[in-house]
Amino acid sequence: MSRPDSALLDLARRRLLGVLPGLFSDPTPPPMRRPGKPPVYAEAEQDPDLQPAAVTTPPALVRWLNRATFGTTPALLAEVNGLGGNDDARWQAWVDQQLNPAAINDPQVDARLTAASHPTLFKSLSELWTQHHAVTTDYGVRMRPITESECAKVVRAVYSRRQLYEVVVDFWHDHFSTFGWHYDGGPVFPHYDRDIIRAHALGNFRAMLGGVTRATTMMYFLDLRSNRRDGPNENYARELVELHTLGAENYAGVLRPDDPSLPSGQANDGVNVRLKYVDEDVYSATRAFTGWTIRDGHWQFPAENDGQFTFRPGWHDNYSKWFLNRFIQSYKGDDDGEIVLNTLAAHPGTATHVCRKLCRRLVGDNPPESLVQSAAQVFGQHWQAADQIARVIRHILLSSTFKAAFNQKMARPFTIAMAALRGLQADYTPVWDNTSNWTTTEEFISHLRATGHGPFYWPAPNGYPDRQEAWSSSGALAMTWKLLAHFTTMRQVRGDNQSPLVADIVAQTMTALPNAAQRTAGGIIDYWLGRLYGFQPEPARRAQLVDFLRQNAAADAPLDITTDAWANANNPSAFYTQSRLRYAVALILCAPDYFRR
Amino acid sequence: MSMNRRDFLRTSSLATLAVGAGARTRVALGNPDAATSDVLVFVYLRGGIDGLSLVAPVAGELRTQYEQARSATRIPATGANAALPLGSSGWGLHPRASGLHGLFQASRLAVVHAVGMLHEPVTRSHFEAQAFMEFGLNGQAGTQGWLTRHLISGGLPANVSIPSVSAGAITATSLLASTETITMANLQQFRLNTGPWNWNHSTQGTPAGALGFAEVLPQLWQGSDILERKGQQAHDALAIIRPIAGETYTPGNGAQYPSGTLGDQLQMLANLIKRQELGLRVATVDVGGWDTHNGQGNPTQSYDYFGNQVEPLSRALTAFYTDLNGSGAGNHAGRVSVVVMSEFGRRVLENDAGGTDHGYGNVALVMGGTVNGGVYGTFPGLGTNQLFERADVGVTTDYRQILSECLLRRLGNPYLGHVFPGLNSYTPLGLFSDATGLAPNWGGFDHLFDNGFEAA
Repeated sequence: MSRPDSALLDLARRRLLGVLPGLFSDPTPPPMRRPGKPPVYAEAEQDPDLQPAAVTTPPALVRWLNRATFGTTPALLAEVNGLGGNDDARWQAWVDQQLNPAAINDPQVDARLTAASHPTLFKSLSELWTQHHAVTTDYGVRMRPITESECAKVVRAVYSRRQLYEVVVDFWHDHFSTFGWHYDGGPVFPHYDRDIIRAHALGNFRAMLGGVTRATTMMYFLDLRSNRRDGPNENYARELVELHTLGAENYAGVLRPDDPSLPSGQANDGVNVRLKYVDEDVYSATRAFTGWTIRDGHWQFPAENDGQFTFRPGWHDNYSKWFLNRFIQSYKGDDDGEIVLNTLAAHPGTATHVCRKLCRRLVGDNPPESLVQSAAQVFGQHWQAADQIARVIRHILLSSTFKAAFNQKMARPFTIAMAALRGLQADYTPVWDNTSNWTTTEEFISHLRATGHGPFYWPAPNGYPDRQEAWSSSGALAMTWKLLAHFTTMRQVRGDNQSPLVADIVAQTMTALPNAAQRTAGGIIDYWLGRLYGFQPEPARRAQLVDFLRQNAAADAPLDITTDAWANANNPSAFYTQSRLRYAVALILCAPDYFRR
Repeated sequence: MSMNRRDFLRTSSLATLAVGAGARTRVALGNPDAATSDVLVFVYLRGGIDGLSLVAPVAGELRTQYEQARSATRIPATGANAALPLGSSGWGLHPRASGLHGLFQASRLAVVHAVGMLHEPVTRSHFEAQAFMEFGLNGQAGTQGWLTRHLISGGLPANVSIPSVSAGAITATSLLASTETITMANLQQFRLNTGPWNWNHSTQGTPAGALGFAEVLPQLWQGSDILERKGQQAHDALAIIRPIAGETYTPGNGAQYPSGTLGDQLQMLANLIKRQELGLRVATVDVGGWDTHNGQGNPTQSYDYFGNQVEPLSRALTAFYTDLNGSGAGNHAGRVSVVVMSEFGRRVLENDAGGTDHGYGNVALVMGGTVNGGVYGTFPGLGTNQLFERADVGVTTDYRQILSECLLRRLGNPYLGHVFPGLNSYTPLGLFSDATGLAPNWGGFDHLFDNGFEAA
């Protein structure tokens, strides 16, 4: 029997067989612990065997778009290529367009997310409060708002033309992370997503911070609603400082605020501020926010029950506070909280912390400090500007550091799943379901959660990790491959074999290569590589893919992809060829090349 | 092809392995006290469990002080829903932890008071505290978790199918940078069985010699950079799990795991532990939901959030023990130790929202067939002047002492200096029935054995 004969594949197979004796019979898998296993992190840099993988650096626009979108597509590349005479000009034009998302029409998203199909996305906070938060007898109805927010996140990531905006929204949902299925936060989640995160995603950080602090979802998630003079609750204040603004990198632990080791400096509002925070600052901020709550039918105010933010002066601790070496006078009421937010928004530590995270998202896991600092300068200089965040994003995306970067990051599971659906031109609108049926959406979300990266599903307030070390675990990688392969047979209605495939790889291949003579293994692989990657990878990679698809056929012999039938063992190239074609595309999606950013 | 030093080492160590006993000898050169077949399951309660509700004072002055600080979250000492007394220690377990109480009475559960981290400054950040504990680097972050360093220095045989599992999708920090850990949330689902069946992988029905998707994919991940090395680990993990993923597992000895992630994951670990040929030595399990700033509840109310958390924890741990505690060859409980820890305790004085804020010292649990049941450690007191910063239970037992005792007395790893850099003393509490164990070795571990091969 003829086997694929590329020298490289043989080499790869020999390496594999070295640890997988008897693969073709009863495989004995290699032990996880075995001599000579190369390190994966700590000592890896001293490992003489560690080499950069042999990877082709994609063209500039593919590299840049892959980090600023949920995956590049031929259509997007064509669009950007039409924006200028060279890549830099095209990129700047595209970034500037994207930073004004309101001016970009978005017909696919508009058609897929309507008041008829996803009604809770369009409800006001008060409507969400009475129609969902108040429902205690039907969990599905109660949680329909977060479930539809989850559906909307997928729809927007896949179909929106405002790709950069969606990437930035995703960033802020990690930064101001709440667990979507919180029993009280979930029913009002569209308010948080739409009116706070999405409303300010490219706007002003201080305004977003104020919105997050007041948001009903956050009020429940971090307990600010129950923070009163006679019963302080420090949960929100602590995470506000540690996660949302200064970051743990600026935490000095349990120390006196006047400890001489603690440095001071000038904040972006021109006033002196202590640069590191201690627990006493957390307690001062806690007191500053006493009385910030929501109208939740509290027994003292039973008539006030619409879920809206309110400040209750009677619950506020009116005496003076010291916060980061700034004095807050007595009897300032809800100004106390505003002063705390202003101090944090103008603090250089916040600028650095937030910008480092943005650079980590957009550039690489360990972004150069020079870019972090220059972005922080923009952040600080414009801390009161309405387009502060857009300016910072623009600064990062147009920097030479961003442009030069490649392969300093891997795509996270949600991102790569969305990239695959975009690349496959999937036709799929996830919807809420309250029946006992196991639906397409529920199966899809279940696969997505198995990767560890379900939408709005991180339980802790620090948001999903953004480094390769988290997402290259066997659990995350294996379950991501499993999800990507699932896309090749996923139907719009699960369990109904008459229902259209979400992405019919075979039909798309036949349309793209209308003449039977074009449908050689090489021709088909080249078509899908161009479409999914936007570039040709190393020849060795192509050879592996071609060899799988062709089996015993010659690379330039057309394959009959019009049938999916059994063939005898001597002719694997005719054995269920359509199924093999689907898996060949899955291999393209599951290869390391597709994960590199 | 030129052979570099590492290739040479690899070849020679493989050659050594071929003679079987020889390999053992060579590994033993690295660690004269070769590892036992014991298993450590490290259960991490994320969010900071309220130790004073899990194990509450039920008598004396401590009880009076406790009742002054706690009303909405109070665990009764008497009457209905009262704490379950831990002997005559003056402490009682949460009433919904009846399974754990049974283990205590069977002398298989140790409760250690006032456990935490002693380095300064103290952190009340969840994420810093968790990272510091799990890296085990005395208040620093790093690249390798403490269990990763144990696996490197613990003298395990050169070949072990599954030495270590991190239950979940993302690897626990304590196992970060391990080359041999399988990170896996669900054994049954851990296989690439999506897509068209007929080219999934080679079976009897597929053309002879033809490789399917699941077999070809590893060939695409043969590069030597870190991403592809991690991919190779994932493929190794899938290959090892595939033959057993489809098998039905029936817990032993009538053990009944509660539904939910924790029960499922402990059941998965029991399954792997019983397949002794797999060689499981270390596992981590995460349990979230302990950050109870608000509405913690108490066992006398219909709304009892904390109790709703404790009950499945207790039932799952108890079922795990029961499952492993068969007779004769079916007894695995004697080689399995479970350590339950959390990043910090909670403030003694409850807040007005019926919750508790971040504190410091906390209770830890140790469970297993060789555990000397009892109450351990020094409780520093609940008087205002006895509290850390006049607010929190202090720390009297460095959490590393408990883990060190497990390393020396159960896991056969003496290299405390390697597992816990910066630790320079060892004071066993007597938690395990092996009362002597190894002597700590503060240096001496040769990094050249990191990957199981000997230096040239």
